[in-house]
Amino acid sequence: MSVPEGTERAPVDGGATRPSDDGLVWRRVHPVTALVRGWTVIAALGFIAVQQSFDDVVSGNVPVGLRYLGPLLIGIAVVAVVAGVYSWLAWRRTAYAVDDDSVHLRTGILFRQQRRARLDRLQAVDVVQPLLARIFGLGELKLEVAGGADSAIKIGLLRMSDTEVLRNELLALAAGVKRSRAGGRAPTDLRQRDHGLAVDGARPSDAAPDAATNVAPDGTSGEPSDLAPDGVRELGAPAGPGGAPAPARAGDVATPGSGHPGTLDADDEPFAAAPEQHVLDVPVGRLVASVVRSGATVAMLVFVVAVVSFVVPSPGRQDIGIAVGLLPGFLGLGGYLFSQFSRGFGFRSAISPDGIRLRHGLLEARAQTIPPGRVQAVRLSQNLLWRDRDWWRVEVNVAGYGPTADGGHSSSLLLPVGTRQDAITSLWLVLPDLGVEDPLGFLDQALVGTGPATGSGAGAGAGTPTDLGSDAGSGIGSDAADPDRSAGPAHGFVTSPRRAGWLDPWSWRRNGFAATGRALVLRSGRFRRVVDVVPHERTQSLGLEQGPWQRRLGLASMVVHSTPGPVSPRAHHLDALVAADLVDAQSVRAHDARAAAGPEAWLSGPPAEPGTEAR
Amino acid sequence: MSDSTPASPTPARSPFDPPGVEWTSVSPRLVRARFVVIGLVLLVPLVAGVVLATLVTPWCWSIVVVVVAVALWSGWLVPRQVRATRYAERDDDLLVRRGIMFRSLVVVPYGRLQYVDVEAGPVATRFGIANVQLHTASPATDAAIPGLGHDDAALLRDRLAARGEARLAGL
Repeated sequence: MSVPEGTERAPVDGGATRPSDDGLVWRRVHPVTALVRGWTVIAALGFIAVQQSFDDVVSGNVPVGLRYLGPLLIGIAVVAVVAGVYSWLAWRRTAYAVDDDSVHLRTGILFRQQRRARLDRLQAVDVVQPLLARIFGLGELKLEVAGGADSAIKIGLLRMSDTEVLRNELLALAAGVKRSRAGGRAPTDLRQRDHGLAVDGARPSDAAPDAATNVAPDGTSGEPSDLAPDGVRELGAPAGPGGAPAPARAGDVATPGSGHPGTLDADDEPFAAAPEQHVLDVPVGRLVASVVRSGATVAMLVFVVAVVSFVVPSPGRQDIGIAVGLLPGFLGLGGYLFSQFSRGFGFRSAISPDGIRLRHGLLEARAQTIPPGRVQAVRLSQNLLWRDRDWWRVEVNVAGYGPTADGGHSSSLLLPVGTRQDAITSLWLVLPDLGVEDPLGFLDQALVGTGPATGSGAGAGAGTPTDLGSDAGSGIGSDAADPDRSAGPAHGFVTSPRRAGWLDPWSWRRNGFAATGRALVLRSGRFRRVVDVVPHERTQSLGLEQGPWQRRLGLASMVVHSTPGPVSPRAHHLDALVAADLVDAQSVRAHDARAAAGPEAWLSGPPAEPGTEAR
Repeated sequence: MSDSTPASPTPARSPFDPPGVEWTSVSPRLVRARFVVIGLVLLVPLVAGVVLATLVTPWCWSIVVVVVAVALWSGWLVPRQVRATRYAERDDDLLVRRGIMFRSLVVVPYGRLQYVDVEAGPVATRFGIANVQLHTASPATDAAIPGLGHDDAALLRDRLAARGEARLAGL
């Protein structure tokens, strides 16, 4: 960032804003960070003390917390002071800087670390508000890059208004909008213009432009609009070319659309937030019902019944001991159920030219932005207890949203629970064009269908050809010849042959795949229905696997390797030659789709340079 | 499941043999390298079995029998495994196939390569071979070519890097 020398700017949160030796303008995070971070240490200590006391109460002793109250308080005070000083030093050291193509973060007191992330490798931007930070109105900005575990850049805590400004700035820079120079065009202007372009030419999937225009609201829309609810279909209208409330004059920064003027220094005109269109939200009632109708609840009920039936008839001392011993498992289940509820609470999804926007969280609020083309795979799933309501959950793989410390994928939810229409809308957010003539019919077939036949899945037995292998083989052959052809007239699901029933007696009729013009759709699961969708251009690598039993039966499984996440796409027990042909055809389709895929910087034109090493 | 004949259809071509692919075998030195490693691993229970059998109880000869059985079995398996390990460079992707019982074929597009590891342990170094491991953004991509000659490995690595750069396409 070349900043003219001698330019005095208002300091942000008391941070240094003068360019340092490395030519970067380092900004500090909010001072309360020290307090909040230090507090967690104290809270942890207090928790341990309380837990110890609780154990004493259970075993009938005087709680340790009461016996040693004085020393305990002194100890906590000492730790508090140490933690406070440490946090303050850490705060002084923590600083971040943004230049045209990367973000820098320096942290650490003893072990100093400076991390730089290229903005064109940005996979997602989250604004996370832990409970305590929320009380102070602060938040943390989390930039995900695809660098494996713990590669995210966490900037925080910042005032919420600052996180938003910073997020908009980063997204704009990552999108390819250039920062304005003195006398240059104001970013807001450029950005608004680009939004018009974006809505027309780079819809959320960043798929090839011709696909994107299909969902443009200007009447040229093809069938994919059927997927979108009415509200969404008109998304482009407010930001369309000419209709955009773009500032008329270049350099006019203080327009209404420019976000939060004045929160950042004068040289960094705040980038306007991209206009966003609300898509859907999850009512609390449905969320609660969905958590109640889950396997964990059933397990919990079994648990309670077991405990009650064993302990209540003869409440002896050792029985209570057993009950107490079972408590951790009970709490674990309860915690899991609560986390399901908490992470889906207040779920809202929206779409903007910067990608998919998600907001959710009861205690820890999270606002995610997933730029176009960053979703690697989508999974729609429905467990048995949701079936009569026709509810679905939608999860995504995004590089960088690796598994969290507790093994969950809290960031990977695209829809915690929703009707089939909601699920289809969520899929549409990622992939506006499936590349089939009749998307709704196709998706019905994908979501609940069985067997290769079209129409209702109920008569699967009747429609099952006896020699599926050769039948399916020919279908695939013709499909492979023309990757752009939409899946066949029967909505093209090629399922496992009948002999796969030896290995998978329940689901073999349903397990299958369909290759559309844009994505590979894999469906599986008889009881827990699962549909995985992998856009062709997001295929990492492909695998063909065959175990000894499969070899005897002439079967093989096809695997699509995707980035870490909840979706692991796999076509089980296909006819071996069909699977081999699928691998072959899919590698061709992936190659063609990659060649036609949009640029990493989603608002810039075609890629000027092919990019450099990712890591 | 009326179709109760699990007949292996003996297809005209193997699914693991895509048409028009010329496979390259890995170095046969990998067999000897694996034998050395297996021998070293089996040496400990073998010695322990013999010592215990002579000192404690003759029942411990069973350990020796098991060890010898394992050795014979790997003597039969390893050469076949190594022969089954092949790779092929196509215009846009690299194919790696492995396994006899559990077969697998992995197709890795050059444009998806994130980095390539070439590694050689002490035994492999003695036999002048190295393992080339391909990494994409997906940890599931299990594409390793064991047993390439040192020079071949270096050449392959450089070729892959060059092709990856030419075809790199984000994630």
